[in-house]
Amino acid sequence: MIRAAVAFATLTLLFGCASDPSPAPVAEAPRESSTEAAAPLPAASAHRSWLDPSPPIETGPIVDPERLHISTLANGLRVMVLEDHRLPQAGLGLALRRGAANEAPAQAGLAVFLADLMERGAGERDALALAEAVEGLGASYGVSAGWDSIQVDVGGLSRDLDAMFAVLVDLIRRPRLEAFEAAKVKSETLAGLERAKDQPPTLAAWSFARVVYGEHRFGLPMSGTPETVALLDADQARAFHESLFVPGNAILYAAGDVDAADFVRRVEVAFADWAAAPVPEPGAAPPTPTPAARRIVVVDRPDLGQAQIVIGHEGVGRADPERVPAGLMNSTLGGGGFSSRLMTVIREREGLAYGVHSGFRLRRGAGPFVVSTATRVSETRRAIDLLLAELEGIRENPPTGAELAHAQTYSAGRFALGLETSGAMLGSLVDLDIHGLPLDGLDTYRARVAAVTTATAAEQARKRIHPGRAAIVVVGPAETLAPALEGLGPVEIVQP
Amino acid sequence: MSASARLLSTILVLFLSAPAARAELEDPALGTHVETLDNGLTILALREPTTPVVSFQVWVKAGSRDESRYTGIAHLFEHMMFKGSTNLGPEEHAHYVEERGGRINAFTSKDVTVYFEDVTPDALPLIIDLEAERFGNLVVTEEMLASEREVVLEERRMRTEDRPQGRAFEALLATTFLAHPYRWPVIGWRSDIEQVTVEACQEFFDAYYAPNNLVVAVAGNFELEPTLERIRASFGAMAPASSIPRNPTLEPEQKGERRSVVHFDARAPILAAAWPAPPTGHPDGPALDVASQILSGGRSSRLYRRLIYDEQVALSASSAWWELKDLGILYAFSTVRPGVSVDRVEALFFEEIARMGSEPATPAEIEKAQRRLEASLVRGLSTVHALASRLGRDWVNLGRIRPLDEILAEIQAVTAADVQRVMAEYMKPEKRTVVHVISPPPPSMPEPEATPEPPPEPAAATEGSES
Repeated sequence: MIRAAVAFATLTLLFGCASDPSPAPVAEAPRESSTEAAAPLPAASAHRSWLDPSPPIETGPIVDPERLHISTLANGLRVMVLEDHRLPQAGLGLALRRGAANEAPAQAGLAVFLADLMERGAGERDALALAEAVEGLGASYGVSAGWDSIQVDVGGLSRDLDAMFAVLVDLIRRPRLEAFEAAKVKSETLAGLERAKDQPPTLAAWSFARVVYGEHRFGLPMSGTPETVALLDADQARAFHESLFVPGNAILYAAGDVDAADFVRRVEVAFADWAAAPVPEPGAAPPTPTPAARRIVVVDRPDLGQAQIVIGHEGVGRADPERVPAGLMNSTLGGGGFSSRLMTVIREREGLAYGVHSGFRLRRGAGPFVVSTATRVSETRRAIDLLLAELEGIRENPPTGAELAHAQTYSAGRFALGLETSGAMLGSLVDLDIHGLPLDGLDTYRARVAAVTTATAAEQARKRIHPGRAAIVVVGPAETLAPALEGLGPVEIVQP
Repeated sequence: MSASARLLSTILVLFLSAPAARAELEDPALGTHVETLDNGLTILALREPTTPVVSFQVWVKAGSRDESRYTGIAHLFEHMMFKGSTNLGPEEHAHYVEERGGRINAFTSKDVTVYFEDVTPDALPLIIDLEAERFGNLVVTEEMLASEREVVLEERRMRTEDRPQGRAFEALLATTFLAHPYRWPVIGWRSDIEQVTVEACQEFFDAYYAPNNLVVAVAGNFELEPTLERIRASFGAMAPASSIPRNPTLEPEQKGERRSVVHFDARAPILAAAWPAPPTGHPDGPALDVASQILSGGRSSRLYRRLIYDEQVALSASSAWWELKDLGILYAFSTVRPGVSVDRVEALFFEEIARMGSEPATPAEIEKAQRRLEASLVRGLSTVHALASRLGRDWVNLGRIRPLDEILAEIQAVTAADVQRVMAEYMKPEKRTVVHVISPPPPSMPEPEATPEPPPEPAAATEGSES
């Protein structure tokens, strides 16, 4: 049954952070094994099948070519369809190959602002009429912005394909972008930015971005700051829309109970007259390496019982040829799963945190490498010292053969699980296209994972992990935290 | 060729070049194999060979409502299930699942605790063995309990103590339920987490982790007979419990509105409210679901339009029927815009709720809600994890698997009069509990000057206790 999505996270409790789709690692640290003799019940399985070696990684193709259609219209518009007739539903959309990274820092938040405004009326329909039209079918729609893309989506039951497609075309080509709606969006965005300060992870992420990227666009939140958002208006949104929504910058897609040939015909009819225009160059590349030296920032939230910790520096680009070995190295370090080194030390051995994670934020221009966790305020220094020691540790003791093998089978398996639905698989194909990567990337991924060696993983650790100059951001009571951080580097205290 | 033959061939050509036939909605759960072993363990097995994934789930019919002495023990115990057994060291279970590329986790709720793995088909036999190992041979030690206790306390800080929404929910349930075990948080009160003992964990395990209190649900790509055989062989030796203890406390009827105010450093105040409602499986359920859709389903819903779009006083507004086994609640939740009075949002929110009970919804609203619920049901068939969850949930709650046709028919049968009736019956002002999470007023406020900025709203009239 559908449930309005509210704080449901508080109703059921997961054992661990369940949200990470990226690779993970091994536990080889010897553990104090249980000393208490258990009343031995009959062994559940005489054959301890878990000790059998993992089968070799399946490296064959994963996308069924019979179901996939890819073509390009004369005006440059890419069309991708993944047919799946098991269920009577379909997801349609358009993805751009540019996003918030294309904004000038002074216009920070423009892509998100445009996306929100696009949802508020298109073609003959104003905001409420649009919502009524789509939701009246039981369908849904949305426009979302990321650093490297803006996406327009409409999804629902395939019996409503005609209506959904018409709405999609309106959203893309005829957004109303009205001034009074722009004022509402702006007001809501500003309120949302203020509300976001109630979330310690958000405060930490904002401060971390500022420290690592400074004046570069990545230094400001994707949704902008109160100062930059205050200057946005419908005219800027329209100009941004006109420059980015051009056929050569876009992929029109459908996944699900859709006939590819029929869909392509629809696209040709609706988009053949979409005039080709130059595609804007990508935004400026971020600085690297950064930060040049250790910087520590405490964001003062005197009321918190738990300190939110973020450590990191520059990372890896989405299309960097070394991203796979870098990702596997990170999998051993803290890339997800319960058996990474960071989870083993911070959660299992020391009981310092519910979750701890490290990862490369893959963007066209390299996003950051980020380690994050949260621990009781009194243990903040110990947690940071342990995190820094593990970052140093992966350089000095890079992933062992067993750790790498674990990371490889984990990554390959999780990759396959992540493609269970056609929507997810097509989304991954679209993402490859957004970043100009070969479109057989899903078929070759597991072979590329299997090809990584301990030598290349070790090289990545030394090349990519730099605890000595990493930025450290902590959100919590500054009065307690600042003295505890002494000796790690210069500490700056800021207000949320 | 006769004219009619020509016509026929034209039709055939048209047909052949027309789009592939649309998919029909079929309920895969109709083919579920159901079996109960001699020791009382129920197996629900649903083959879906078109996917590359299989989801294996063990549903334990025990949640926080079954706790005595220590609140939070059901959840803390769930954590201990990862900390080793006779033949496995701490965390090894998760390690072996992840080594095969699997997804592993568990969750605890008011009524159930669920352990799950989503894996590729080759790993299923291993998963069955691993689950049977920890369900059959768990080992709880002081040392492991000590470190996991700290992990859970961090989880409590992260979800509840340092978050306005978490504070609101904790206070809401503690105030809505005076007596029933649903009143305490699933994660437990801090003092209890701090004091849970190994003996108490062992008692909880012995009482509730018996095969006759378990349901195994498996859905996805697997061979039926070998899988059943392996489950029978590995879980079949577990000894059943003679009886499963349940807390006897029922909730007394609510006589009048209750309020609770929580002071917390929140820039965006939180409004939360709840009304007693029927338990899961109740015939009024479909009407309550339709009503929730009309109130808060999407951007054309009443609450979105009124609170977020037109009046611009809130950043989110939602309402839903929370189905629980013993008794449910209807709840309402809103994040108030920074600087806006939570009282103002409350007044508008309750005005919309009252309108639902005083006048019928429009036919268009009813139909929209029905279509949204239908689309959501179809979406729920997209992954084998969701399928296995549906099997487990239905079996635990109802003792059978509800066919999709039946659910859809019930939704389609809901009328505007039904919606009006259930809203008037359940969401009465005198039956509600209201929680505000607001920043504490400054210690001493200077007297307002001639034309002051509006001061922060004082705490709303408060009876009831802070949680």
